[in-house]
Parts: sequence; C-alpha cells; structure tokens
Amino acid sequence: MKQTLQTATLDNGIILLGEFLPSVESVSVSFHVAAGSICDSLSTRNTDRSCCGLATLAGELMLRGAGDRDSKQLIAALDNAGVQWSQSVSMSHGSFAGAMVSRQLPDSLKIYADILRRPLLDQHQFDPARQVVLQNLAGTEDDPTHRTMLALRKAHYPSPWGLPSEGTSADVTNLSHSDVKNFVDTFIQPQDMIVSVAGRLDWPEFMQQIETLFGDWQGRPTEAISAGERGKKICHVPYDSQQTHIALAWDVPPYRDPDSLQATAALAVLGGGSSSRLFTEVREKRGLCYSVSAGYQTQRDLAVAMAYSGTTADRAQETLDVMLHEIKALPGTITDDELDRVKARAKSGLVMQQESTAARAGAMARQWFHLGRIRTLAEDLERLDNLTVESIENWLAKNPLTEITTVSLGRDPLEVPDAVSP
Amino acid sequence: MQFRHEQLPNGLDIIAEVSEAAHSASLGFFVKTGARDEHDSISGASHFLEHMVFKGTDTLSAEDINLRFDFMGASANAFTSEEDTVYYAAVLPEKQHDALELLSAMMRPALRDDDFITEKQVILEEIKMYDDQPPFGADDRCRALFFQDHPLARSVLGSTSSIEALQVDAMRAYHQQRYASDNLVLAASGAVDFESLITSAHQLCGEWKPSPQSNRKVEFSNSNARTVTDVITREQAALEYAVRMSPGPAEDTDDRFAAKLLAVVLGDDSGSRLYWDLVDSGQAEHAVCNHHDFLDAGVFVTQLSCEPETTHALLDRIIEIYQEAANGLSNNEVDQARNKLLSRVVLAGERPRQRLFSLGLEWAHLGRYRSVTDDLATLDSVSRGDLQRILAEWHLTASSSTVLAGPLLKDSPTT
Repeated sequence: MKQTLQTATLDNGIILLGEFLPSVESVSVSFHVAAGSICDSLSTRNTDRSCCGLATLAGELMLRGAGDRDSKQLIAALDNAGVQWSQSVSMSHGSFAGAMVSRQLPDSLKIYADILRRPLLDQHQFDPARQVVLQNLAGTEDDPTHRTMLALRKAHYPSPWGLPSEGTSADVTNLSHSDVKNFVDTFIQPQDMIVSVAGRLDWPEFMQQIETLFGDWQGRPTEAISAGERGKKICHVPYDSQQTHIALAWDVPPYRDPDSLQATAALAVLGGGSSSRLFTEVREKRGLCYSVSAGYQTQRDLAVAMAYSGTTADRAQETLDVMLHEIKALPGTITDDELDRVKARAKSGLVMQQESTAARAGAMARQWFHLGRIRTLAEDLERLDNLTVESIENWLAKNPLTEITTVSLGRDPLEVPDAVSP
Repeated sequence: MQFRHEQLPNGLDIIAEVSEAAHSASLGFFVKTGARDEHDSISGASHFLEHMVFKGTDTLSAEDINLRFDFMGASANAFTSEEDTVYYAAVLPEKQHDALELLSAMMRPALRDDDFITEKQVILEEIKMYDDQPPFGADDRCRALFFQDHPLARSVLGSTSSIEALQVDAMRAYHQQRYASDNLVLAASGAVDFESLITSAHQLCGEWKPSPQSNRKVEFSNSNARTVTDVITREQAALEYAVRMSPGPAEDTDDRFAAKLLAVVLGDDSGSRLYWDLVDSGQAEHAVCNHHDFLDAGVFVTQLSCEPETTHALLDRIIEIYQEAANGLSNNEVDQARNKLLSRVVLAGERPRQRLFSLGLEWAHLGRYRSVTDDLATLDSVSRGDLQRILAEWHLTASSSTVLAGPLLKDSPTT
C-alpha cells in the first residue's frame, strides 16, 4: 500500500503531521497541546494550593467562546460546518479534535485557531464551567470500574502521573477564574504543539493555512515536571456493590523504548483478544467473570501494564488467584501459535486504522509524541514480522516481574499473596 | 458503492454493499430474534444463546472459535437487543472466506450441557455488572412500565431468577425455531468479493432448513401509555438517574428521520435545547433525548442525571423545554442539527464496520436497502414543519413513564 506521509515544523515549534488517505471523503484534524493534567502539579507548586482538575476546567472554559464568537455561536459554527468535535485532557495533553467532510477543513481551522489563541475565558462562564466539571466528577463516583482504575493509577504511578486527569471535587471547588487564566497563559503554547491531519487533504494548502493562522504565535518555555511519590502497592476501596473489581499494574518499557514491542506482545498473549490466556482461563474455562483483559498504557518516560476483572464478591479471590497465576506463568511458555495470533490481530488493526481519519490522525500524533517521528505502515508491519517468540522470551527473562500493584474495590478486601514476585 | 442481493433456495438473504476503496471487509449474520420473541419462562434466552453460540459446534470447541478469530486477525463480536441478535467479524479482504466459514458454523451451535452451566455464571456476572452501574436498572424498569404487556417490555438480559431457571432444552428449542435459514440475513460491507461470498454461502449455509415464522408485530397503542413514575433506591449513588419514555414514530413510518432530527434538536449531547439549558449551565451531569424505533412502535427516551435534590425540578424543566419547542422551533437550530446528522451519516459511511449494522438491520427489519446517499437525501428533505408536526402529534410531554434510580426514596414527591 502506497502511503503519503508528511511532516513539517514551524519556527515557533508547532509540529504538523499529515497523511493523505485516498479511500475517504472526510478529513480529521487534532491539536495536542502540552497542557495535560500533569501540568496541574506545576500550578499546585506555584499557588501553594492543590489544583487537581485545572487542566480539565481550562479545556471546558476554552470551548465557551473564542475570537468573536460566544459560547453558543462557537458550537453552532462547528456544528454547522458538520464538524464532529471533541475536547479531552490526558496526562500529557489537552486535545481538541474534529472530523468533517474535507471541504470544511479551511473554515474549521480558523475556529480552532480562535479556540487555542483567542479563547474568551469569559468570567460569566466560569461558574457553570466549574459546575460541569463537578457534575462529571460526581458521575464518575457511580462508575465502579472507573473508580477502580483511578485507585490503581494513584497507587502505581508516581505523582503527578497518578493523579486523576478529571480532577478531584475538593480541588475543583476551590479553583478560581484567575487560576484558569494563568493556566491557559502558561501552558497553551505553540512549542511542541502537535497538529495532526488525516484524510482527503491538500497538504501544501493545509501547511500554508496553519502558517497563516499560527505562524506568528510566540510562546514561552514552561517548567519541567518531576516525578514524586508512588502510592501503596496493595489497596482496597470499600464499596457496596454486587461485584468486586480487581486491577493490577506493573512497570513495562515506554513506547519509545525498542523493547516495548516485546513487552506489548507478551501482554497481548496474556490478555488481548478472546484466545488470550486471561480470557481463556478466567472467563471461558471457569466462568468467573464477564470482563477480563490486560492492556498497555504509556507515557513518554514510563509505562504500565494493567490487568482488570470484575466478578461476584465470593468468587473474587479465585479470580485474583487465577490472574496472578497466569501473569507469573507467562515467561518461558509462549508458543509460536500465540505469537502468530498476536501478529494477525495487530496487522489487521494497523490496516483498518487507514479507514478512519480520526483514528489515523490520533495515532500519528501519539507516535510523534513518543518517537519524534511517524513510522510508515510498511515499517510497522515489518517490525511485527521480525518479532519472534525467542525475542519476547529473552526480554521476559532479562526483565523479571518483581512487583505488582494490586487494587480491589468491593465489599471485602482480598488476600494478596506475599510472593507476588515470581 | 454497489449494492448486491441474492437469496438462497432455503430463504437465506445475502446482501452486500461493495466498496472497492475499502481496506477491510465486514460480515455479519443478523438473526431476527431478540427479547421481544421470548416469553416469561425463557426470559433472557436470546442473549444467553448469543453467548452459547461462541461455545462451539459439534466439531469446534469454544477455544477453537476464539483461536480461529484471533488467527485471522478478526475483530469479532456479537450483540443482542429487543429485536435482533447480530454476529459480526471485520477482517482483511483475504480472510473473507475464513470468516464466513466460522460465522456460519457458529450459527449451528452444539449447545452442550456443561458449557451451558459454565456460561450461565458469566451471564449472571453480566447482570450483576449492569446492576452496579448507572442507571441501575432504570432503563429496563422504564421499558417494562412503558410497554406493559407489549413484547417490547421484555428485558434483554433477563433476571437472575429467569436465567437460573432456564433449561438448556428450552434454549435448544428456541434456537431451532429462531435460527431457521429464512429468519437470518447474511450482510457484508467493504472490500467484499460478492461472487465468492455467494459461492461460499451456498456451500456453508445451503443445507439449513427454513421454518415458518409468525408475525412479530403486535399493535402498540399510544393511548395505552400512561403517566407513571417508579423509583429504584440506591443510597450509595452520588447522582440520581432518570429515564423517561414517551411514544414516537415506529420504524416503518415516513417520520423516522424527522423524529431522529427532532431528538437532535431537543436533546443531542451538545448544542441542543436540553444541553444549553441543563448541561451547559452545570445543573445536570447529563440530559439527552433520543428516538428509538422498533418494528411496531417508537419511543422518545429522555435521560437525565443530576444531584438528587434537583431531580424533580429538572424533570419539570424538561417538560417546559419540550413545550417551548412545541410552540416553535427556529430554522437555525433545525439546520444546525441537520448539518450534524448529515456529517455523522457521511463519516459513518466510510467505515465498513459501521455500515454493516445500518445495512443489515434495515434489511432484517424492512427488507430494503438504503444507501448513504438515500439517507442524506431524506435528511435534506425533512422540514422544520415536519418536526413541528411530530411535536404536535406525539406530545412528548403527555403520557410518559419515568423511573428514577439513585439516593431518592420511593415516597419522595413525584412530578
């Protein structure tokens, strides 16, 4: 498959990534600013007040009017251009994205330039925006799986990566309008902003327009973020529910580490797909749960493997025991067949990504953030082809699993064996 | 895009929307069966059967099925609703035959006793999982109150007691009746080789037997709908969750698209009347309106989540918002909603996986094909007057069933 990938960097540090996808009529664009939830910790340091949730509140307020449009006019402009828009905050980035029929791209880029460079941050919109964030936080209180994963993140990641991106009610209640203004002034910067676009696209025209809209934006350097303490390795959250939720985490190499491919392949054998070991042993053979899986979550410099299951309280101990057994049993037992299945699933995923402009734009941005470049599809497929059982086993042997963070949420705590290390 | 259709002598319909530009092919069996086709003693059987279909055939174990899907790199799954059970796989084009071979074998499952016992535990876990999550069963309860003795009142999952009591023989009988060749549609979308699909289907599905099916439609009279409220108390919940249903156009009417557009104007998750009034202001966590259509009935579903003490006032406010809409919609808001929907149709149309469901369900329910272009043209032809007429005809504020789930107690004042 012939691929047309483009990259460019503006003088002010904005990175442009593009891929022309001949099979579609639509285009997706995403803007990723280095204003993720880990920046909350810098505001905390500068204000001497815990600011967890500030990045999320800033994202909410930025959409409430920009340029010469108020809140309603802004949403109407996006909707009328048929832009399926979204806004989100991850640990590392504040992101604004939109998918649309390609002829709408030039008009929508102007709107995004307003949002990023000229948000109104209207004082009158502050209270409702904060109220929206608080409502969303109350909603997540009622989602036991989400609460379990938050507890796992807090226990396993060092601060500030372990803090919830969506914030905490106590902190958000105390945030002020000027906190948001300072946050936007400080962190919404052109330096390292990634603009990723995929679909039916005229690249030179796109580059020209981005240069016009963003080229004169001068940024300022921001402070570096340092890693702090980690939480407890074993933690139980009491919760009156029918099911007990179990989540496990352990360290693996981040995406930019060449070994991450070995680690993610091992994780896929463990818990990716319905023929994976966890699905087979926990759900298929024993009927212990409805959902069980393992996955990979990477930041630039640290990454974790995570496994999850939810099951009835009286079968939770057995579920945890089987999960831990399968994790420990992995080294030295991976088969060629298992690896073939991992490769087949990964290849399909890579090829099918070409059918979704939004997925492609997002994937290119992530790859650039981690690697500083975009791999071609051919390169990604070749890396998969070169993966062998031997290379995975070598990696597992050299990197024995020493510590697993274990979190449960439900009526009763579970017994976690001392010897979690193999 | 090219549409193709063929029927096997045993009544199995095979349809495809072929797109040469696509990178993948999606295939699915659409079985015309769901919760509405059950009765009390087999409540939850359609969904339980959907799980059992993955447990193997006379010659394949559950593990074999999982292994084969993963070996072909398929993204495969299934779902069960009130009216349909759908099995699907998205694969690279060269795996089309393998995917069809496996999916078609699965349509004739072994339904072994020991698998039935193990999988029953998984279903019971799934019921508990949903019971722990918002809206804490309010959706099922509301549907039961709204549809009363109509088949659409039935729960897809069934209850813990109905699943515990279900016997494998009853499931076998249900399968034999409902999975007859003429009660299934094989649909495909994307980079599909249609000639090869037909050849494979003849060979793999040609021996399946048809069986006479009774008419699934049961008249639903809106005059039966009554205003009724119920409360499910969950003391631990942070928010109160409300589900409200009121009658709307069914899927075989010309008003289906207008009803969808109206729901976007009133209660899309952003930029709608409910959004600006309740969500943007920070009064509600979530406030949306959707239109769902079925073979013989339609329903507008309003969902609200908010702080418990504000629930009744916000439900009253929603009635006012609907009344204000009935008094007049603006051209701007209708056009804005239309532009949003048009864009959704175009973007969803680019992905074979998403197209498969529209294609398969349209054929399974109405026996017809609608292209993306057809949908765009119909949406363009809907006028503000159509929306105004639907609001006048269906009285979203009149008879409705409402169920609350959260910290509020049953005897708290109702609206």
